[in-house]
Amino acid sequence: MDEKFDCIIVGAGVAGLTAAMILARNNMKFLLIEKGEFPGSKNVSGGVIWGEDLSRLVPEYWHETDGGWDRYINHRRLTFIDEQSSFSIDFKSDHFNTPPYAGIVVLRSKFDRWLAGKVEEAIAESDFAMDSFIATNILVEEILMEKDKAVGIRTGDEKFYADSIILAEGVNNLLTRQAGLQNDYVPADHILTGVKEIIRYDQNVLEDRFQLNGLSGMSNEYVGFATRGVEGGGFLYTNRDTISIGLVLGLKDLRKKGLKPHDILSDFKAHPVIKDTIRGGEVVEYSAHVVSSGDKRIMPKKLYKDGLLVCGEAANLLMNAGKAIQGMDYAMRSGILAAESAIKARDAGDFSSHIMKGYQDALNNSYVMQDINNFQDAVHLLHNPVMYQKMPNLINHFGRNFFTIRNEPTKKAHAMFRESVSEHASWMDLIKIGIKGARSL
Amino acid sequence: MKRLNLTERLGLISYRNQSKSDIKPHIRVETDICNSVCPHKCTTYVCPANCYTMDEEGKVHFQVEDCIECGTCMYACDQGAVTWEFPDPEIGRGITWNYG
Repeated sequence: MDEKFDCIIVGAGVAGLTAAMILARNNMKFLLIEKGEFPGSKNVSGGVIWGEDLSRLVPEYWHETDGGWDRYINHRRLTFIDEQSSFSIDFKSDHFNTPPYAGIVVLRSKFDRWLAGKVEEAIAESDFAMDSFIATNILVEEILMEKDKAVGIRTGDEKFYADSIILAEGVNNLLTRQAGLQNDYVPADHILTGVKEIIRYDQNVLEDRFQLNGLSGMSNEYVGFATRGVEGGGFLYTNRDTISIGLVLGLKDLRKKGLKPHDILSDFKAHPVIKDTIRGGEVVEYSAHVVSSGDKRIMPKKLYKDGLLVCGEAANLLMNAGKAIQGMDYAMRSGILAAESAIKARDAGDFSSHIMKGYQDALNNSYVMQDINNFQDAVHLLHNPVMYQKMPNLINHFGRNFFTIRNEPTKKAHAMFRESVSEHASWMDLIKIGIKGARSL
Repeated sequence: MKRLNLTERLGLISYRNQSKSDIKPHIRVETDICNSVCPHKCTTYVCPANCYTMDEEGKVHFQVEDCIECGTCMYACDQGAVTWEFPDPEIGRGITWNYG
């Protein structure tokens, strides 16, 4: 592998594999480098891939029922919990049963490996069937620069050169920092720590428990007591014969409150409502990973320089604006756009910032940055204590009263609501949240 | 469901180069900083793998063997005590997820 590549991609996660797929289809000679044993082996996510971009990479992937994906989502639930109760907004629809699916649940160790297989197939059909590679077990230690242009990478004593480099190294973006696009120290302010367990069931039990039909699946997000007062929330997704259950916890708040993430996870699982939901299963994996919050303040100001592009979580492209935790779909779209810019650069024979800037422009014009820009207020709102502490308590207090039937005269709902507000918040809190919520969502 | 402790949870994880006793640590911690100027010693509770522990005298200790490469300590430490890298595939530890 002495000769120069058109492009080197660092990281075989969703962003890197997506970029690789686009490069292979456009007859680029590339090297995709992954530090893990196999693509996906070091990758963790919640995780649902929202949207339809996967069908651009693997057309009609839904026919591969033994492929890399676990289930498609046709059932969404948002649950507010206090110490004892839960109050959910629940939506299920036949509308979501037809491909292309609106969301699929994946386990990354399996999904990324499968997607890498698809990339290998695309390489085999390209002009560089023998000259493009996915190389695993290699840790990139340095971006090689010449006159402030990225020209290659170093791993140990070995160097590989390329006209352009795509960094898809994930949120712990050491190379992006080394290239000067992100500060060396990123503070905890807009970072969350995710902790998760995979719990296995007999598949019939799982399907009955969650009212699944065939390969349909459910996603459930939790706000409130799930996090013991730490900013953040919980999630539960149904996989084929397992569930992914976990929490994302604001790291700065966790530090301030002196709590252990795995203890909060244990408490969440022991919550009266959750306990019933997950009973009988066997924990088969515990994992953790940091994620970005979606707050723009953490994002690198520039996602490119001469010869270099940054995509996926390396660019902190992840957001939870209340409707869903989106990250892998952003990784996919940014991977597509980064690859397209690398191809444009090759066609123009110009790898300078001038061309690479086209990537950032395309990203800004895509739904990814439009959503991140438009929903900043929603991100801030979700990290407001009124939203993750007072509101869930208030809602559950109201629920408890509303659904309690006594053999005595019943109060009207608005009177009950007034009681709940005075018990757990104030009208001022509600008005503020109402205005912010109406504007931000 | 039985409440799992962290040791049981970490026991489910497949680490790399587990048979090698002499590994190259991918994280370096200057515990002198933790034990002199740090007001919170937060790594001893925010680390999801409990790689940072506090002894009876309140001193911070670090071991890399259980690290699951999550990144938490790199952001949580605001005292400059943590130097964080990815493990070397051949001579480091680190994880291989079975599910991910």
